[in-house]
This record gives sequence, structure tokens and C-alpha cells, in this order.
Amino acid sequence: MPHRLELIGITKRFPGVLANDNVSFSVRPGEIHALLGENGAGKSTLVKMIYGIMQPDSGEIRWDGQPVQIANPKAARKLGIGMVFQHFSLFEALTVLENIALGMDSKIPSRELESRIRDVMSTYGLLLDPHRTVATLSVGERQRIEIVRALLLDPKLLIMDEPTSVLTPQEVEQLFEVLRKLAAQGCSILYISHKLHEIKALCDTATILRGGKLVDTCDPKAETSRSMAEKMIGAGLKDIVRAPGRSLGQPKLVISRLSTTKTGHFEVPVDNVSFTVRTGEIFGIAGVAGNGQNALLDALSGEIRSDDKDAITIDGYPLGLLDTTGRRKRGLCAVPEERNGHAAVADFSLSDNSILTARDRLGMVMLGLINSGAAKTYTGKVIADFAVKALGPASTAGSLSGGNLQKYIMGREILQKPSVLVVSQPTWGVDAGAAAAIHQALVDLASAGSAIVVISQDLDELRALCDTMAVINMGRLSPARPVGEVSVEEIGLLMGGVHGSTEAHDAVPA
Amino acid sequence: MEILIPIVITLVGAATPILLAALGELVVEKAGVLNLGVEGMMLVGAIAGFAAQFYTGNPYFALLIGACAGAATSLIFGFLTLSLSANQTATGLALTIFGTGFSALAGAPFSARPIELMRPLFPAELATHPVWRVVFGYSAPVYFSFFMVFAIWYFLKKTRGGLILRAVGENDLSAHSIGYSVKGVRYAAVVFGGAMAGIAGACFPLLLTPQWAERMTAGRGWIAVALVVFASWKPFRLLAGAYLFGLVMTMELYAKAGGGPLSVIPSELWAALPYLATIIVLVLISIRRDASTNAPACLGKPFLPSN
Amino acid sequence: MPFRLEKRQEPSRFMVYATPVAAVLLTMIVGAIIFTLIGYNGIGAVREIFLTPLTNSYKWQDLGVKAAPLIIIGVGLSIAYRANVWNIGAEGQYVMGGLAGTWVALATYNMTGPWILPAMILAGVLGGALYAAIPAFFKVRFNVNEILTSLMLTYASVQLIYYLIRLPWKDPMGMGFPQTRLFAEAARLPTIIPGTIVHLGVPIAILVAVLAWFIMSRSVFGYQMKVVGAAPHAARYGGFSENKTIWLAMLVSGALAGLAGVLEVAGPFQRMVPGFPTNYGFTAIIVAFLGRLNPLGVIFAGIVMAITFVGGEVAQTTIGLPNAATGIFQAMVLFFLLAGDILVRYRIRRVQAAVGTA
Repeated sequence: MPHRLELIGITKRFPGVLANDNVSFSVRPGEIHALLGENGAGKSTLVKMIYGIMQPDSGEIRWDGQPVQIANPKAARKLGIGMVFQHFSLFEALTVLENIALGMDSKIPSRELESRIRDVMSTYGLLLDPHRTVATLSVGERQRIEIVRALLLDPKLLIMDEPTSVLTPQEVEQLFEVLRKLAAQGCSILYISHKLHEIKALCDTATILRGGKLVDTCDPKAETSRSMAEKMIGAGLKDIVRAPGRSLGQPKLVISRLSTTKTGHFEVPVDNVSFTVRTGEIFGIAGVAGNGQNALLDALSGEIRSDDKDAITIDGYPLGLLDTTGRRKRGLCAVPEERNGHAAVADFSLSDNSILTARDRLGMVMLGLINSGAAKTYTGKVIADFAVKALGPASTAGSLSGGNLQKYIMGREILQKPSVLVVSQPTWGVDAGAAAAIHQALVDLASAGSAIVVISQDLDELRALCDTMAVINMGRLSPARPVGEVSVEEIGLLMGGVHGSTEAHDAVPA
Repeated sequence: MEILIPIVITLVGAATPILLAALGELVVEKAGVLNLGVEGMMLVGAIAGFAAQFYTGNPYFALLIGACAGAATSLIFGFLTLSLSANQTATGLALTIFGTGFSALAGAPFSARPIELMRPLFPAELATHPVWRVVFGYSAPVYFSFFMVFAIWYFLKKTRGGLILRAVGENDLSAHSIGYSVKGVRYAAVVFGGAMAGIAGACFPLLLTPQWAERMTAGRGWIAVALVVFASWKPFRLLAGAYLFGLVMTMELYAKAGGGPLSVIPSELWAALPYLATIIVLVLISIRRDASTNAPACLGKPFLPSN
Repeated sequence: MPFRLEKRQEPSRFMVYATPVAAVLLTMIVGAIIFTLIGYNGIGAVREIFLTPLTNSYKWQDLGVKAAPLIIIGVGLSIAYRANVWNIGAEGQYVMGGLAGTWVALATYNMTGPWILPAMILAGVLGGALYAAIPAFFKVRFNVNEILTSLMLTYASVQLIYYLIRLPWKDPMGMGFPQTRLFAEAARLPTIIPGTIVHLGVPIAILVAVLAWFIMSRSVFGYQMKVVGAAPHAARYGGFSENKTIWLAMLVSGALAGLAGVLEVAGPFQRMVPGFPTNYGFTAIIVAFLGRLNPLGVIFAGIVMAITFVGGEVAQTTIGLPNAATGIFQAMVLFFLLAGDILVRYRIRRVQAAVGTA
């Protein structure tokens, strides 16, 4: 029996980057095949070529043993290749049914399409209302649309690009059930991820990419997470170094009954949130994307002001009514999740980006005029101290890679020595080396006596980094618990909106 | 009752060009493109239609030429904003400046040389009674505009093509990743909008004033753009909005003609009224908070796929 | 396809300054071809429109007088557009500035004193700013698109001129012409070079541009305009209010358009006439873009557009080119500039050529 998919010597070059360098591997019918690698290792480029979005510069793709040219996604679907994207290709203002119809290559009457959708949903246990508008659906439900859309084409190969990054642990388990059922029926699955425990739990084979090159093809069940991680990263992993004998001090940042009003159509507001962060403490907030994290960050940074001055206090000083500039002057700095366009301006030089948040704390302004020399000196220091790969303070933020820009942004805030730092998704889309450096910088800042709030969807990150954890769900925050005392299952249930220990017990699947 | 009939007929005539141009712009905006050059495309359509009528005397041919001229002008916009990703706001303004200059240059030889107005579509016998004139008394573009209101509503709401067009306007990157040609859909929409603006422009000499005058569209293209916002991107609301403006402009005409209570107010204020009404209408619609939520999510943003 | 576009890592600073020059040159070449094709003397048109005003020293004073309002308005628009505030109604604010100045001039008709002209200028600046405050208010309060409101107000302002000079402000000795009386001596802008028409507005324009350049490049105000325009979300994170920025951008651009209006009415016109709106407010949009939204660049762009105005008049008398041709040349400059913008962020690469690829 021929391989379902075979890649032979695939090479793809972008200006200044070799995205894929002579990559070869194959997938058997019914096999769940992992494609493992860091951000920037070339996974996405590779699957885009399989799905016909890009063309390889050289190399051959074989389908059921025959060499094929996949000119566009339509051609890919015709062969029987389905894909579920990491960033969903959905249309928020349209209904589920309209979204699925758009994914069909032929025109199917909407009544017939609806009955086929219901068939697929009942076969695989995927629940959805076809007439709901996508904007009203949760992230997990949105992913189900993508999966249903792909399954309607009876794919012989299903590509899943980082499917679990937005799901609760329970939703991940449901997804795995669907994928195993599919594989049992002979559908091959190409599963892209960097989450090692998932790959060990789900996949038959793993192909590991690093820097565009194929490093190894192995059986993940025979490997340890650590051995695969080392292949993926290429060097021994560094652990976070914590100062020995650290103890948490007095309450520093106190949030009491903080709420925001619903602004955007699709935004979840913060609902009556209270918590305390002590000197030297790293406080983690877990949660599935879209549960009010953005509003919480804006409410803490001052982009959204409270109407109660005591909703936010630092060392007892009320900050609730102040804007971002006022709060920064009192020592509260923040790093939002979105780097380009929120934490930094892509078209501005790094030096000008430093003026954005550091101008008052570091005296870059005199009589309304900007001291660009001071901004340049400070930016040079950020670049040096945080090993930012940039030509210098005059490089534009947009010319930096995601990881380097994040290092610059974190450095820009941390070197201002804030007494409170709030960060959202500090290592999202950042390679492991940069992530380790950022984690270490956060731990060091806490050791120096700052209080730190980390909002993240990455449970592994929070468990490694934080002293205390809480979960945000629909804008409400669960009670805080020391990290050592809370299990992944409990956090998962809280992320799914199940509160309280008795409920949690009942809801655990047998 | 009888005196209302000529008012209705004038109103419909004044509203039709705005309605046609706004329908075109609605489709363009639904595809996610903001073409602020409607006024310029209308002026090019107006002079092209005028010239065609002048030489051939066939108003249907003149409308066709107007449509082609508007479409050709819109291609400049399409090329700059879609192929070269130029700023849509600036390009739309440039298109209006260009259309104003081009129509003035091309129209110079035609000044003070009148053409024949377009005749009503139905034979005069059908419209002998004044009341029947309200139904049968108009020329073809008026009926065409009714048809297009329905046709565009049907296209956007009920057809696959309309679904794809809306999808492109909602989320261009997703439409691209599924495999639709974002540029292709947008080019088609822009050219359609240009053709509609061209017909709308040709209506000025063919329906309203049978003489060439520089800038004869007098900002109606901009009012059409405003109407699309006012109508929350819905064709039938566009019909209502255009007729509201038709009423305002009819009042201006009656005030200018003198007599009656309307002339107490200075004629300049009547002339300014359509523009002031546009502002008022935009403010009123914006006070209702849900109005802008119906706007296509990608409106005015350049399409920059990563590959 | 032998060529393809490739994204540059950094926007090209060379292209930022080279493309406006290229746009003007391309306009001359393509314009000559097009006008020849449609039956005019194309090369003559380009020569008269773009070169004669420069080579004929007698035309230089015209250039200065035409460039001054374009530069003043263009500087204001360049600040607003930086902040992504699309004030398209500069023509209306220019008219209101002129009307406000006229009002002071008529009210002080029987008075003299050196304070009259400054009072007129102040009124003009306020008039322009207040007229721009209307779209600013609607934008900030109700999120109404400022492009449409500011433009609609332009049409309304022209009607206001017509009304005022037809009835309340009409010159009693004007033999029925709809215009105001000629301003008194104290309300006229002095010429600065004797024997020419070059008035005080010309040095004011240069001063405004240089001052604006300093403020935009060195001050927190300039930073605020740029950051709100480039990334509004980041600006809010940096502590800059978007609404405050809209207000500032609208008021500054309106005030400068009003300044240009009052200088025009007190200088070249010396009375309010129906022909006062001369499209400076719209042409200044091209000036702002051609000057790359940089106040110093606006000086040069203002001169280039003034050349086309003066040259257009020359071409009308010498080779009988209709005045409307000027508008086409101006639009072409903007088209080529916008088309060239892509070269700032992308480079053109030959696909086959292996030489020199990184």
C-alpha cells in the first residue's frame, strides 16, 4: 500500500530565510503523524505547501504514490486534503452554515448542506447550531466549525495546525477522541504542535523540524518529553533559576471589585475581580482566550480607567482613576498581549518605541520637547541587556522577529524597574531560547521586590513561573491558590467555567 | 392632492442618480473597499453620457457609455488600491480631483450646446391621468434603480456570489486562505461600483439639466457615500434615504422657482440644505449605537497577505 | 512574470524622498504623451505648465503668492493626516477664515490702526478652527466620519459666502455686483517687496512650515500625532488620548486653513467675492501628500503645485490649453505618488536574475 502523502526534498526560500531545507517524510493511511518544532522552525510553511497555499522552490510531493502539483487550496481539497488552521479562517458576522458553505468548492443547496452537517456532527459528537452567528460562539465551538467544514469533504488527510492552543484540557481530550475515530476509519492526520505531552498521547510518529531542516523522525511513545524537546531546540534545556530561600512580603498590588463595562461587540468585560499580589510574588492568571483577559490587562494598565479610585492600589495608594501615564509614574507598568500595534508601533524605530512608555519614568521629556538622546541611550541598554537581535536603536520595531521584539518590549518595561508589572502572554509565539530569557527576567524582577501579574493561556508556563494562580472565565476570577496545591484537572475545569470543588468532582469524566 | 404629483415626480428624478451611485458604492464597500472617488466617477460618467447623447441622440447608448466611462475610471482606483495596495482614502480623493479636471477639460467644447432629455419609458397614453404619471411617468433609469435595489439585495442575501463577496469584505485573509481570489472579487466590485456611478453621472445631463456644466454633480457623489453609511449597508434603506434627499432637493428647486412659503428662507440656505441634511443624518444614525456594527470588518483596509 | 515584489525589511528612506520627485517627472512625461494623443500640443503643455513659471522670472512673484496659501493649508493637513484624521474640508475652513477676516475688516471699515490686521488674522484663525471643530465634535462624540462632515461643510460654506455678499455685506457702491466693498487701507495685507505682489503671507507661510517641522519632529505633541496615526491602540497604551488628538489635529489644521483664508482675502483679494474659494483647500491635500506629510517637504510640494497653477494660466493664454488641464496634471501627480508608495515598502526583483539576491 503506497504512502498517503510523501514529501521528497522539499525546499522553500524566502528573502533572507531558508524556511524549508530539503525536507522529506511520509504519512501512511490512518496514521496520526506529528510535525513538531519551535516557532519559526518551518512547520507552517511546509503545511502551506501541502495545502497549496504556497509552492515549493524544489522537491516533490507524492499523493497515494503519484507525483502531484498542488496549485491552490482548491486542488488540495480535490485530492482529499483538509486543513484546520491555527488562526481560524472564519467570518464573524456570518452564520455557521454560511461559513461552512464558503468552505465548499461546489454549490450545495443550503438545506442539503445543513442535513449533511448534522450527519457529520452526530457521527463525531460535535455539537453546533448551524444558524448561530460565529461572533457569538466560544473558541472551542469555532474550532468545531473548522473541523466540520474539513470533515464534510471526506478528507483522506486532515492537517491540524496547533489545534489545542486555545482549548481547555477537557476540550483537548474531546478533540483527541474525534481524531482517533477519524484515524481508525483510515484518514491520515498531520498534527502540528510544540506540546510534547499531547504528541506522546496522540501520535504514532513524530517528525521534528529545527531551523527549516528535518532533525529526526521518531516514535513519540518511545521518547521522553525531554529528549524530544532537546531535538526540537537543539541544546540542553535551561531551567529557571530561582533565588534560594525566597519569601513573599507585604501585599503590594491590591485589586478589589474591579469591573469594566462591555465596550466592543465581541469583548468580554471584567466582572468584579479582586486579588492581592505580594512583594516578590508572581501571580498567574490562566484562562481560555476571550474570557476577559484583554479587558483585565487594559483595566490594570489604565487604558480602561475605573470609576472607583480604590479598585486598584499599590502600597495602599489608590490608582483606579489614573490613566496609563499616571499609573506608570506610580510604578505600574504593563505589557499587552499584542506586540505589533499595541505594545509597540511597527513603523517606529525602537528608540521612538521607548518614548512610548518610558518617557516620564526616565525623564525623556523637558518642557514638552523630547530628548531623543536619552531615548537612544536607554534603547541601547535594553538591546544590550536583553540580547535583542537588532541593528540598533534606529531599527524599526517591525523589522524585528516576534521573539526579539518581545524581548525588547519586556526589557523596555523591566529596566524601568516597575514596582508592579502586568504582562499578558509574555512568551506567545516566541522561540524557546527567548522564552527562557524572558522567564528568567521576570523571576529576577520578582526577586528584586516587584509584584508581577502574568496572564497566560499556557498552563505549563504558568505552573513553571508562578507562585500563585487563579483562573479567569467569562470575566470572573476564581479564588487564588498556591501553584503547588492545584492540579491541572482542577484548573481545566475552572477554565471551562466549573467552579467549586464538589461540582468539579462530579464533572470529572470517569 | 394634485399638487403633490409634480413634487413626487421631481423628487424621484432628483433621487435616482444618488440612489444608483449609492447602490454601486454599497456593493464596493460590502467587498471591503472604500472608494471615495464616487463624485469623480460620476463626473466622468456625466461628460461621457453627455457627449454620447450629443453625437448619437440615443439615450440608452449614452447611459451605456456613461457606465463604461465610470467603470474605466474605477479601474485606476482598482489598480492603485488593489494591485499596488495604495491608501484607499487618498486614492479616492485623487480620483475625485481627476474626475473633476477630466470632465471639465472634456466638457469645455460642449458648453452652451443643449442635448435632448431622455423621454419616459412608457408611452404617454399610459400616463394621461396625473396619478398614473407617478407610476408610468419616468424614464428608464428610474425603473432600473428600482430593479437594482431588489437585485442587489437578492444577490447579497441569497446567492453564493453575494456570500463570497460579503466574506471577502468581512475577513479578507480568511477568504484568501480558503482559496477565494480577494483581489478578483474586489476588482469586480470596484468596476461594478464605477459603472453604477457612471450611469448615475450620465443621469444628470439625461434626466435633470440637458446642458453641460462643470461640476454638475455638485457633491451628490459624496452624499451617495454618506447614504451608504446611513443605510447601514442595506439596499432597501438606501432607497428610503435617497428619496429623503430627493425631497430636500425638490424643496430647494421649488424655493428657487420663487413664491410660496419656501422662499422666506434665503435660497442659499436651501442650496446648502442637502449637505447640512447629510451631516444631520450621519449624526442621527451614529447616535444609534448598533449602526456601525453592520459595517464590513475590512472596510478601507488594504489586503496584505503574508505570502 | 519577469518581476515580482519583495517586502523590504525596513521601509526605504531613499524611496520616501525619491518617489515624489519621480511622480512629478512621470507626470510630465505621461502628461505630454496623453495630451498629445487627445489632440493638444502635449510637449508645449508640459513646458508651459512646469517650466515657464520657473524660467520666466516675472512669474516668480506669482509663484510665491500662490504657494503661500497652499503651504499654510498643506502644513495643517500634513499634521492632521499624520494623526490619521482626514480633514478634507480645508477649503471650507479656508472660506470661513476669509469670512471671519472680512467681518472684522467691514466692522472696522471707518477705523484705522495697526491692530486691525492682527485682529483680522486672529478672527480668521478662529473662524477656521471653529469650523473644523464641528467635524471634530461629531467624530469624537458620535464617531461620525470626519471626511464626509468636513466636506459637506465646505459646500455649505460656499453658500454662506453667496448669501453674505448678496445681502448683508453687499457693497452699496458695487453697481449690483455681489461682493463686499474694498477693504480699508488698514485691513489690507502689506506687500513686502515694493513693486511686486509678494505680500506678508509669503514669509508667514515659510515661518509656519519651519515651526511646524520643529514641533512635529521634536515635541511630545508631534509624537502624539504620529503615534495615534500609526497605531491608535499603542497610543492609548502609551497614555495618549485618541479623542484629544482628533480635537488637536482638527483645530490645528482648521486654524491654519483659516489663516490662509484671511491672508488671501486681506492680500490678493482685498474684498470678499464669489470667486474666493479657489480650490486651494483641495489642492493642499495633494501638497500634503507630495510633501510626505513633512512640513519642510510641504514647502517644496506647495511650490510645485503653485507652478502648475501659474503654468496652467500661462498655457491657457499661450497655447490655448483649457484651465481644467491643471487639475488633471495635479491629479496625475497624486496618482503616481500613491502608485510609487509601494516602492517604499517593497522592492522590485527580477525573478530569474540570480545576481545580487541575498
